[in-house]
Amino acid sequence: MFDQTNKRPKITRRAVGGLALAAVLSASAGATLAADQPTIKMAINQSPWLDSFIAMVDKYEDETGNKIELDVSPYAGLLEKVRNSVRGADGEFDLLNINSLWLSEIYSGGFLAPLGELSDGYALADSVLTYGDTVSWDAASSTFAAEGTLMGVPLNGNVQVLYYNTEIYAGLGLSEPTTWAQVQSNADAIQAAGDAYGFVTRSGRKSIVYNFTPYLFSHGGSFFEVGEDGINVTINSSEGLAALDTYVGLATKSGPPSPGAVEQGDLIQLLSTGRAGQAIAVIGAWGGLENPEKSAVVGKLNAALIPAGAGGSASSAGHWVGGIPANISPERQQAALAFLTWFQDKDVQTAYVQAGGVPVRGDLAGGALSADDSYRFIDAYSANAANAVMGLPVPQASEISSAVALQLNRAVIGEVSSAEALNAAAADIATIMEREGYTVTRGVDL
Amino acid sequence: MSGNRAGIGRVFSNTLVWGYALLVLGPMSWVMSNAFKYQIDILTGKVFATFTWKNFDQLLFSRQSHFLDNLLNSAIVAGSSTLIVILVASMAAFSLTRLNVPGWVRWTVLGWALLFQMLPTLTFVSSWYMMFKTVGLHGTYFAVIITHVVFNLPMALFLMMTFISALPQELIQAARMDGCNYGAIFWRIVMPLVRGGLIATAALMFIFSWSDFAISLNLTSTETMTAPVAIATYAQEYEIRYGEMAAGAAMSMLPALMLILLGQKFVVRGLLAGAVK
Amino acid sequence: MTNLHGMTPTQRRNRRWIAMSLLPAITIFALLSAFPVFNLIGLSLFRVSWEEGKAVYDFVGLSNYKYLFTEEEIYWAGVRNTLVFSVTVVTFQMALGFTMALAVMRAGSIGRPLLTGVFLLPIVIPPIVIGTMWRLILGREFGLFNQILGVFGAGPVDWLGNPDIALGAIMFVDIWHWTPFVFLLMLAGLEGLDEEVLEAGRIDVRSFWQELRHVLVPMMLPTIVITMVFRIILSFKVFDEVYLLTSGGPGTSTEVVNFSIYRVFFAQDRVGDGSAMSLVTLVAVAGVIVLANLAIKLARRSASHMEDAS
Repeated sequence: MFDQTNKRPKITRRAVGGLALAAVLSASAGATLAADQPTIKMAINQSPWLDSFIAMVDKYEDETGNKIELDVSPYAGLLEKVRNSVRGADGEFDLLNINSLWLSEIYSGGFLAPLGELSDGYALADSVLTYGDTVSWDAASSTFAAEGTLMGVPLNGNVQVLYYNTEIYAGLGLSEPTTWAQVQSNADAIQAAGDAYGFVTRSGRKSIVYNFTPYLFSHGGSFFEVGEDGINVTINSSEGLAALDTYVGLATKSGPPSPGAVEQGDLIQLLSTGRAGQAIAVIGAWGGLENPEKSAVVGKLNAALIPAGAGGSASSAGHWVGGIPANISPERQQAALAFLTWFQDKDVQTAYVQAGGVPVRGDLAGGALSADDSYRFIDAYSANAANAVMGLPVPQASEISSAVALQLNRAVIGEVSSAEALNAAAADIATIMEREGYTVTRGVDL
Repeated sequence: MSGNRAGIGRVFSNTLVWGYALLVLGPMSWVMSNAFKYQIDILTGKVFATFTWKNFDQLLFSRQSHFLDNLLNSAIVAGSSTLIVILVASMAAFSLTRLNVPGWVRWTVLGWALLFQMLPTLTFVSSWYMMFKTVGLHGTYFAVIITHVVFNLPMALFLMMTFISALPQELIQAARMDGCNYGAIFWRIVMPLVRGGLIATAALMFIFSWSDFAISLNLTSTETMTAPVAIATYAQEYEIRYGEMAAGAAMSMLPALMLILLGQKFVVRGLLAGAVK
Repeated sequence: MTNLHGMTPTQRRNRRWIAMSLLPAITIFALLSAFPVFNLIGLSLFRVSWEEGKAVYDFVGLSNYKYLFTEEEIYWAGVRNTLVFSVTVVTFQMALGFTMALAVMRAGSIGRPLLTGVFLLPIVIPPIVIGTMWRLILGREFGLFNQILGVFGAGPVDWLGNPDIALGAIMFVDIWHWTPFVFLLMLAGLEGLDEEVLEAGRIDVRSFWQELRHVLVPMMLPTIVITMVFRIILSFKVFDEVYLLTSGGPGTSTEVVNFSIYRVFFAQDRVGDGSAMSLVTLVAVAGVIVLANLAIKLARRSASHMEDAS
């Protein structure tokens, strides 16, 4: 219907361009309502929540007659496609699905049209989550800021929550933990029982920074602070050390033998096969874990608020934001904006959850959905989403993450001590940011 | 004494050969069987599990999947680029090894080919994207095909040079003295004689083009997407959908394998018939 | 016999043939590879950032290279690993591939196509499937290898998670994956050998091993060298296996050069640094190839010296 055309492409080696656009736009329509917006093309990745998003796009088309075509790429290739599209003179896509990790790069590059410029005084609907202010960007300080310019609308909420296996808990008489110490003692009990790992961390180099963020912030620490006069590197503080010690303890004392090799896929695999008793993972995995074709623990998992430390409870955000590029025609921009506005509506978000998605509004907790057992994650999700932070809110996020990841990973596999790892990470952050031209200050080494 | 040595050597090499064959067939059949299992059974490594067609169903008939089209695109792209690259490389190889080409031309072409081959392809993709976008050819078959040609050209060139230079010089001398021009020598003498090497090179170029991911990802549009990119969509953020991947792999391997085996048979038959002399 | 410009029609046609035969290759190279390569070289001297939708090129001379040599410890760990990786896998692949080609040559009319078909399977599978498939097989909890080990009572081995053996596991997968490449080329080379010369050579030798060393290998040398050179180049470009199996970890135990370049050039969008890395890697690969060729020359020279001595 609205998606990629089924038309057979011309079998000629010298097919000249324009083929793509022309063919795609001539897809047959089924809407009976008059469409008052042009068809737009959206870049999105293949994912478990794609089906629920498609359901919403279908709904949008039914209700308004406007059409959206989805260009579905593998996750590994979406960033490159987005980059290519926004960097050219003419954008290929009118609506971009941007992962939170790429936001600072895309925002700082000036590729998106601020929503306030497309529609005067535009603001997000009440209760739409901002996941650490990641919908707005302050160009002057080059970071996310609530008072900054509004750049996008979240399309899929995805924060980390604490998962635990209710069956294992019941068998050992454990209760939902509210502090890190309780998590550790639960984990020790589970590990001792022998059937499952007490606590599984995502300590592989691709995942560890994201996984460590809630620990760091809940202990009152941070990676660095962005100020008016530069960057203050704070990771190697006493709070950071406490956080890393907790993290390494959970990873090594009561988990799988090589936590340093566990990435997201492995973690979810362990959860779904019932081999993990507790873990901090993204809520986006919930759907798969409740699917009998993919999981052996259907109905046996529950989501909870991530435990609080000295700094309260924190979670890290791995959500997706919809952005409108600057290098497309104004009509297309308005069409994209129309969809984004429609998407924020509470009824739409409720339908989104029912189709299997993770909502971007925080006010669905305690409502009709929470009563349904299959949506029992909503309350925990909403609570965690309110505490979500972006650990590295600068354009150099990816570079810093790589460097810090190596040091943290080394601490987990025991190559260096926690203090050494944090000091090395601080040094790396300082080097990177100084090279970028920031003024960097640091505390004393641990 | 030497008989014994040869015997042991033969036993050793046979063990190696059949051992490797087993090492290939074992994991392969296990993975192919995954195409018929549910994800949870694959994850828990069950050898025998509930049979299901769901993976193929997802792969072929789901909303955002056009796998048969993708396979066709792969065939078009790989087939065309292989034909072109073999032709271009063979002609150039013949001239470079057997004919009077100025030294500086030879060194420049070969040196550049080697240089180009040694640099990572990933870094060129964005340049190519920009180039094709500027001339309006992005997303066309032509863009992917010609990029695959240049990507495979260095290896094709060197391989054909190796095989052509293995031909006895006297043959070509004799033909020249008979008054044959270079073109005739190429088509009627050289090409038939290097058929074995030609097929092997073509097989490899076809495989490289068929399996390419990085170039296809960025230069194709939804209509021209090839099979590897489609299969890659099943390696997702939270999980790898092993079942659909295995199904995709099974379907993607069959045409490639058949084409190559057919080509091989062609060569063997030709040689056995004594076409060489 | 017309003698325009001192050439016969055949000669003129021949001159034209040389030009025409080289023209497609040169054109394709010029159109499609010149710009990307020069762009890469140029980029290595800049730092590129994006503001307001436009690229900002900041000329920094050799400072990207300086940064590479002083600060990028992950890259150099990758170089070490890649060198070890490359030498090991290429050696195994050449030895295995050659042996397999010899065996298939001697196999019967049924064995030959059957074996060839089986041997081709690993390179016909899409690389991403190879990565994910071995990930499953080598997995610690439920992987096939560990299941088989379990049958014999041996404990589960963490093939991909143990920093000491992870690189070995990746090497194993790569050897599995690419030996057929060598096999195919060796087979084509063997089949193309001149029967008469082979027969002549066989008269002087007393055993198969001698035939191998003094007849087959020298005759196959060009094919062997080319195969080896390309295997070295490709081994430096290994990416899919690492990306899918270990992502370079744990620690830096499976970090390889191409993966570092991917991370810097793409994930971190540092195109200047990534380009510098590519060029430095190019020098390293060239160095390895030169050394490998030298090694072969030396081996041949010492073999022929031993010949003369005996």
